[in-house]
Formats: sequence, structure tokens, C-alpha cells
Amino acid sequence: MSPRLFILALVVMASRTVSGVDSPAAPAAPAGMVVVPAGDYRPLFVLPNEPKTVPVARFALDKFPVTNGEFLEFVRANPRWRRSAMKRIFADQNYLKHWSGDLALGDSAGTNQPVVWVSWFAAKAFAQWKGKRLPTVAEWEYAANAGPRRVDGENDPEFQRALRHWYSTPAPAELPRVGAGLPNCFGLFDLHGLVWEWTSDFNSAIVTGDARGDTGLDRQLFCGAGSAGAKDTANFPAFMRYGFRSSLKAPYTVHNLGFRCAKDL
Amino acid sequence: MTTNRKSLFASLVGSISLASTICLSLSSCGTQSPEKPPCCQTIKSGVPISDQSLYQLDSRWTSDQGREIQLGHLRGQPQVIAMVFTSCEFACPVIVNDMKRIAAALPRDVQSKVNFTLISFDHERDTPEKLRVFRQRMQLPMAGWTLLRGEADDVRELAALLGVNYRKDARGQYAHSNILTVLSPNGEMVHQQMGLNQSPDESVKQLLHLLQP
Repeated sequence: MSPRLFILALVVMASRTVSGVDSPAAPAAPAGMVVVPAGDYRPLFVLPNEPKTVPVARFALDKFPVTNGEFLEFVRANPRWRRSAMKRIFADQNYLKHWSGDLALGDSAGTNQPVVWVSWFAAKAFAQWKGKRLPTVAEWEYAANAGPRRVDGENDPEFQRALRHWYSTPAPAELPRVGAGLPNCFGLFDLHGLVWEWTSDFNSAIVTGDARGDTGLDRQLFCGAGSAGAKDTANFPAFMRYGFRSSLKAPYTVHNLGFRCAKDL
Repeated sequence: MTTNRKSLFASLVGSISLASTICLSLSSCGTQSPEKPPCCQTIKSGVPISDQSLYQLDSRWTSDQGREIQLGHLRGQPQVIAMVFTSCEFACPVIVNDMKRIAAALPRDVQSKVNFTLISFDHERDTPEKLRVFRQRMQLPMAGWTLLRGEADDVRELAALLGVNYRKDARGQYAHSNILTVLSPNGEMVHQQMGLNQSPDESVKQLLHLLQP
């Protein structure tokens, strides 16, 4: 067990004695998915005159990130998403580079490891094929804000400490399988501690050259004093995710960037 | 072997310019002068479009004239393409004006060989009728200007390809990147003009290059 999973495990084991938030009853969850109840997401940055919270409607989210095995089924069924057939506009040249072939995972890509080296387009196409979609930033952040004990994970110092530890630890050369950690109180695994994940509107962060006087926001994002305008200056992991998303382009593929799917209920 | 997340983050931030570098690499495909205006051409399925072409998208769009098209219908002419929304109070009229400046700076004999395309962020409010009103308000001629609306997912996808970031604020207005993109006749991005009130010179230069026989 990697050190950070161990720490998360300790956190969760310690939580067994605390009365936690019960997982919501999930009668309508499709197989492999978890119902995330309606709630509020507090964006890291809001424009002036914008409300401080964004309502998130009840939705379903995959319990685990999509695995190499699942993605292999997808490319089997959809030849245009095979590595050799990929149009460069939809994925860069590193697309699925850890696989040994178009339809072979090989030694570097375990069936149960999260799929990585996938572009936003590929993730989106997979989700559509499954009759699902990618989660929005608001949905993902809301779901991921929940700790093992409580929905408002930001008020759980132990959970925050475990997160900071993960976000400052190098990624292991070999990714663990999905579901090796412990679920958050919604019953979702691996939102932190395994890979970064694509969201449908990753390109909603407003950066350089943008409309309506947001250039100040841009400076806030990339300068040291940036956290002054943000809602929660201690939420370093949220800053990292915000910055990471801002740096992405839709065809990019990255060694530790995967995805999971969402669905309306 | 491990990779440090922080350095990954830094390198990604550093590589924001990567996409624009790709955009600058000119296609080796030749230019072709169309006999018909873009709306009336059929997609030439015999000639494959490149891996880098925006015309790989199969999303469907509706023009202010109520015509349903795929972006591939724009094939054949260089395009100057921008994303706007019609209830925009500030930036969008400036973007349109920047496009008009490019049009005006083109030599007379090639003005009709470039098409200008505006695509709306506002899939909810920008109906074809709203786009028609916008065309009148901005005094855009029928010839050479295409106004399109699409569904939410397709708008998001096109924006992702163009490197345009946007989000709707609480008042239903859109905060968005201000980017004009020059497309080759085959839909490859060859140049992007970033920001408002920029000189049209580089875009004009790129268009003239694309129009060379």
C-alpha cells in the first residue's frame, strides 16, 4: 500500500468511531454508479456579483475511474478511437501510448488500472458510447469535496491533511488499480489519490485575453498573491486542480489524467 | 521512475503555447477556389481532410437563415472564425469589428474569397432569429458572413478545439476568451489573433498566403 493510501486508510479507520454522514439511499443508481444527492458547490473563484455557490442537481457518478479494460472494450467497438486511427485534432501523439497495441494492453497497462493518456474527446466519446456524459467541474468538485466522514470535506482537517499529502507526493511509476483506496461518504472511490480526471467543461476557467475585465482574475490565478481573492485560501488541492484544468487543451493526453462518467437522474 | 506533480503542473502551464505552435504549422494541402459559395457546396468526400482539420467534427449547426450545416460545409474557402453571443454588451461587438477590419484590409480582388463565421456560445437564447437580428444590427452582408448556433455540447466541443474558454455567469452572460482563428480552406487552424482591438496585419498576411495559387 502506498504511503498516501495508507494515510487515507488511517483517516477512514479513525472515522469509524465518529458518526458519519450516511451514504444516501441510491435506488436509481445505474450499475457501477453512485447517486450523488443535490447540494451546493462553492467555486474557488467567482466573478463579481456572482453568487458564492452553484447548485448541483442530484446526479449519478461512476464509482470508479474508467479502467484500461473498459476502455479496451470501447475501442474494440469503435475503431475510429483506436490508437492508430486517431485524428490528431482529437488526441495528441501520446494517446494510449502505454498500451502495447491498438487492441492490446500489454505489460504497462493493467486491466483494472485507470485508463490514462486519453484526451477529452476520447473521454467524451467513451461516455457517449455508455449513454453517459462527463461530469461538470461543479459536479466533480462537489462530489470530491466529500470526505470519508462528511459531505463538507473542507471542514474535516484530517481529510484535508491527507489530500495535501497526496497532492504533494510524486505519482508512482505504476498506478494502483481502481478501488484500492476507501470510498468517500457518497460511496465514490479514487476521486483523490489515483489520477486527475477530465470534466466536461474543463475549459470554463477564464484566463488570458478574456472578456469583461477578467484579466485581474488571470493574475490572481498565476501569481503568488493569487489566493487573496479566493474563497478558501487553505484549499491548496483545489488550486492545483483549477490550475491543472486551466492548463489543459482538449487533445492533450497526460500520464496521470483519466476520467469517470456521470449521468442525469 | 516518478514524476513530480508540481513539475508536471508547471510544464503544462508552460505548454499552453503548444497548441498555438501547432496552429501555426501551415498545412501542405493546396488551396482551391470554390465555384459556389460555401453554403451550396457539398462536402467533397473523395478528397480526405487532414487529421488536423476542424472539419472532422460531425456536429450540426443552424445558420441565421435556418439552414442546417456541418462545419465541413465551410470547406473550400479560408475562414476567419470567432465565438460570440448576441446579447454580449462589450467584447463581442469589438470581436465582430476586428473581423470587419480584417475584411477591409484584404485587397479588393480577394475579399470575396474569404468567409467570416460567427458561432454563438448562447445555445439557449441565440435562436436563428436572434442571429438574424444580430446580422442586421452589426451590418454584416449576406455574402461572406456565416452566423451559426448549435447545441450546448457541440459549442463546448468547438470551443475546446479553438482553445476558447467560456462560462455563463449568474446573469446569463458569458465570460469568454477573445480569439479569432484563421482556418485554411481545409479547416486547419493556421493562425489565432488573441485579444481585442488587435492589428489585422498578421491575419491578413495568413489569409493572403492561403489564397496564393
